Amino acid sequence: MKMKDFLLEINVEELPASYVRPALDKLKSAFIERLAKERILHGDINAYGTASSLVCYIKDIQLKQEELCQEISGPPKRIAFDENNNLTPQGIGFAKNQGADVKDLKIKSTPKGEYIFIVKKIKARPAKEMLRVMIPEIIKSISFPKTMKWDDSGVRFARPIESILALIDKENIKISMGNIPSGAVKGLSASAYLKKLQKSCILDQDRRISEIENMIRLAQKKLGMDEHIDKNLLEETNFLVRLPVLMIGDFDKKFLAVPKDVLAASMSKHQRIFTLSRGGKLVNKFIAVLDGKGRDIARMRKVYGNILEARLKDSLFFYNEDMKKPLADLTPKLKDLIFQKGLGNMFEKIQRLEELSLFISEKLNIDHVKKNDIKRAAYLSKSDLVTQMVGEFPSLQGAMGMEYSLKSGEKESVAIAIKEQYFPKGLDNSLPETIEGAVLAICDRMDNIVGLLGSGIEPKGSFDPFGIRRNSQGLIQIINYKSLRMEITGIIRKAIELYKGKLKISPEESEKKVINYIKERLESLAPDTRPIELKQAVLRSGCDDIVSVFKRIDALSEISAEKYFLKAAKVCERTSNILKGAKGEKIGQVNEGLLKEDLEKEVWKAYSANSGAIKDLIKKEKYKEATRVYGEAFFETLHKFFDNVLVNAEDKDLRQNRLAMMQAINKLYANDVADLAMLPQIVV
Amino acid sequence: MKKLSFQEVVEKLNKFWSDRGCLIVEPLDTEVGAGTFHPATFFKSLGKEAWRAAYVQPSRRPCDGRYADNPLRLQHYYQYQVIIKPTVADIKKIYLDSLKALGINLKAHEVRFVEDDWESPTLGASGLGWEVWLDSLEITQFTYFQQVAGIELDVVPCEITYGLERICMFIQEKFNLFDLEWQNGVTYGDIHKRHEIEYSKYNFEEADIEMYSKMFECFEKEANRLADKNLAYPAYSFVLKASHAFNVLDARGAISQNERPRYIARVRAIAKRCADIYISGMG
Repeated sequence: MKMKDFLLEINVEELPASYVRPALDKLKSAFIERLAKERILHGDINAYGTASSLVCYIKDIQLKQEELCQEISGPPKRIAFDENNNLTPQGIGFAKNQGADVKDLKIKSTPKGEYIFIVKKIKARPAKEMLRVMIPEIIKSISFPKTMKWDDSGVRFARPIESILALIDKENIKISMGNIPSGAVKGLSASAYLKKLQKSCILDQDRRISEIENMIRLAQKKLGMDEHIDKNLLEETNFLVRLPVLMIGDFDKKFLAVPKDVLAASMSKHQRIFTLSRGGKLVNKFIAVLDGKGRDIARMRKVYGNILEARLKDSLFFYNEDMKKPLADLTPKLKDLIFQKGLGNMFEKIQRLEELSLFISEKLNIDHVKKNDIKRAAYLSKSDLVTQMVGEFPSLQGAMGMEYSLKSGEKESVAIAIKEQYFPKGLDNSLPETIEGAVLAICDRMDNIVGLLGSGIEPKGSFDPFGIRRNSQGLIQIINYKSLRMEITGIIRKAIELYKGKLKISPEESEKKVINYIKERLESLAPDTRPIELKQAVLRSGCDDIVSVFKRIDALSEISAEKYFLKAAKVCERTSNILKGAKGEKIGQVNEGLLKEDLEKEVWKAYSANSGAIKDLIKKEKYKEATRVYGEAFFETLHKFFDNVLVNAEDKDLRQNRLAMMQAINKLYANDVADLAMLPQIVV
Repeated sequence: MKKLSFQEVVEKLNKFWSDRGCLIVEPLDTEVGAGTFHPATFFKSLGKEAWRAAYVQPSRRPCDGRYADNPLRLQHYYQYQVIIKPTVADIKKIYLDSLKALGINLKAHEVRFVEDDWESPTLGASGLGWEVWLDSLEITQFTYFQQVAGIELDVVPCEITYGLERICMFIQEKFNLFDLEWQNGVTYGDIHKRHEIEYSKYNFEEADIEMYSKMFECFEKEANRLADKNLAYPAYSFVLKASHAFNVLDARGAISQNERPRYIARVRAIAKRCADIYISGMG
C-alpha cells in the first residue's frame, strides 16, 4: 500500500490565546477518530500552531482506505432452505436484498443454530476523496467558548478563517467550506511545506513555550534576578508570538511604591510583560517577549516603558483613593453588590461565610483565637471588591484585600487568610498554607458550589462559566493538602441551611447534587495512574472524609497486584453476589444458635476471630494490612463454605442467618475501605 | 519623513478611507461615549444595506477624567471610527495599510492583535475582535459586530475604532498626550488641558445629582414618547442623552453596584425600541 505525508493548515485571523491549545488538541483527536472510522491507516499524527495558523501533520497516510469484508447474517438455515436443501423464497430474498448472488450464500453455525450469511466486500475509496469530505467536518467539530460569523455562508469559527490548505505529498486537495478560499502551493510536498513553515516561526507550541521559558530563565540568571516565571502569562504569551525575541526594559523607580501585586498585575494583564525580582523584591525592570526579529528595539523599549509608567500612575491614583478609608468601612457597601442572580447580595454572602467558618472551626477543633481570626477574615473577605483597584484589576481580589487590611491595622493572619481564600488560582497551584486561609477558602468555595448547584446551574461538558468545577477541585485539594479531617456531608448541609430557603432546589435535592458532584470530582482528581474501577470502588465505600479517600486509593493501588488483595476482592465479590440475589429478604444480626453446618461455624469463627483486628486496622488507616488480614481470613473458608453449603436454604431462618453472616463479612470491609466487588474479573 | 500632527493624522485617515469607498461623515452633535453611538454606526449596522463610512467622533467618558494629571487618560477624547458593511475578506490587511499610510513602519514595530470581545451593554451591541497593540500601546479596537440592539445581524459589519491620541503619541514619540502637536506648534494641551481639568472637577465633584437623576427620567420618558410616534432619530437622540446622564451619575458616585445593571437595562430597552422602529421604516 502506498503511503505519503499529509498536511492541513488552517489560516485564521488571530485566535484568542487561550483557544489555541484546546483547538489543536481537538484537531488531532478528531483526525485520529475519523481516520480510524474511515479505515485509513496512518503513522504519527501531530497538531502544531500559533494564534493564526493551526496545522495538522500526519505521517505515512495510506492513499486508499483499507478494504472491508463485512459479514451480514440472514435468516436461520431452516427458514432459508427447505427440507430438500433448496433455497426458499426467504433465502432468495435475503440474497437479493443484499445485492448478492445466491451462489455466495454461506452457512455458519452460531450458538443460536445455523444461519445463512454473505460476506460483502466494501470497496476501498481513495483517501483523498474521504479527506475532502472529512476536513470541513473536522474543522466544524472544533468548539470554542464563543464563535462568530463573518459572511453569509453560515460558517462559524472563533475568528474568520482566511484559507484552508490540504496537501497529500505534492497534491493539493481542494476543500470546500463556506466562502473560504482553498489554499494552494505548487511543487512543494507536505514535508517541504512544513519545513518552510517552521523556518518562519517556531510552529510547535511545546517547543516554542520551552524556548520562551529558557530565554527568560537565562536572562534572569544573567541579570542576577530571581528565577521565577508567571506560568499563566507564559502560556498566554506562547500564543501571542510566533518567533519569540526577548526585550529587557525598565521604568521609574518611584513606581516601586505601588504594591507588588498591583505592579505585577499592571505589567502582566495590561502589557503582557514579565516582572523581575531580586531576593523576592520587585525591581524596576521587566521582560517583554516580542514577536519576530529585526525590530527597532531601542524605540520599542521606550514605548513599553512609558506606557507602563502611565498605567502605574493610574494604579497609584487608585491605591491612594482606596486607602482613604479602612477596609472594614467598605464592608457594608457589599449590600449593593449582587452575588448571584436569585442568591442575594455579597453582604449576605459574607454573613454566611462567618457562620460557616465557625461551624467548620468547631468541627476541626480550632482554638478560640484562630476561630475569631477566621471569622474576622470572613467579614473582610469581599470588601476589596468595592475598591477602585479591584474594579480596575479584578484578578487582584484577595491580594488587595490583604494589602488594605494590613494597612488598616488588621492582624497578619487575618490578612493572609483574605488572600489565601482564592488559592489555588489558575495555573498557579499554590494552596493555602495557613489554617485560617484554608478554612476561609473552603467556606467560600462550598458557599459557591451549594449556591450554584442549588440554583440549578450545572457545568456542561467543558462549559463551566461559573467555575463550579474549579471551585470543587480547589475545595478537595485544600482539604487533602491540609489533611483536614471532617465530614463533608455535614458541611454541605450547613452551607445549604445558611441559604435560608433561597435555593431553587429543595435542601435534600441540593445536598444530593453537591455530594454527587464532589464524588465525580474526587474520581477525576485522584491520579490517572490509579485504575478507574479502584477509584470507584473506594468512593462507593464513602467519601465523607476526603483525606481518607485519597489514602485508601493510594494504599490499594499499591497492593492491587498482590495475591491477598485479589483474595479480599473475591470475598467482597462473592458475598456481594449472594446478597444481590437476596433482595427482599429480611437480613438482621447473626444468631449463633442457628449455625448448623461445621463449615458455616468455621466461617463465623473466622469472623469472630478477625473482625476486631480488621476494624482496628481500618481505624488506624492501615489499609494494606487490613486488606491482607481480610483476604487471608475469609478467602479459603468462604470458598469451602460456598462449595458445600447452600446459603439459600429452604428453611427461612437458616437462610436469613446465613445471609446475615454474608452481610457482616461484606460490610466489614466494603463499608469502610472499598467495595471491591466492583472490580472487573477478579481472578485469584 | 516629517512627523504627522494630530490634524494631519485625521486628514490622512480621511483620505485613506475615502479612497476605499467610505463616505466621510461628520461627528454627531450630542455627547456620546464612543463612535459606535453615532447613527452612522448604530442605525446603519442594522438591516442588509451595504454601508461604508468614516468619521471623527469626540467622545466622553466622565469616569476616565484625571484632572489632566495622567498622561494617558482623558474624559474627553477623539475616536476615528470606520464602519464597513458587509466586512471584506482582506479588511485586516487594509487596516494595516492604513497604519503604513500614517508612516508607521510595521517591520520595525510590532502590531499585535489581542483578544477583546467588545460589548456595549447600553446599546445591546456586541462583537468579536481585538484590541490592536502597537508596541504594547493600544491604538485600535477592531470588531466584527454580531449583535446591535440585541438583534442578531445577518450582514456582519466590521468596526475599526482608532484612538487618535494614542496613534499620535506613537507617531510623535510623545508620552504625554497634552504635549501632542495639534498643528503649527499648537499642542493638544493648549486646546484641551483646561477643559479636562474643569470637566474632571465637574464630573466628580460638581455635577448636580438630583438634576441628572431627573434628567435621566425625563430623557427616558421622551425617548419612549417619540418611539410611540415612530420617530426613530429623535427618539434615539434622547437615548444618547439618557446614556450620558447615566455616565455622569456614575462618575459622581451616585449609582450603587445594584442599581447599575438596572440603569443600563433601561437605556438598552429604549435603544432597542429605536432600532426596531428604524428597521420597520426601512421598507
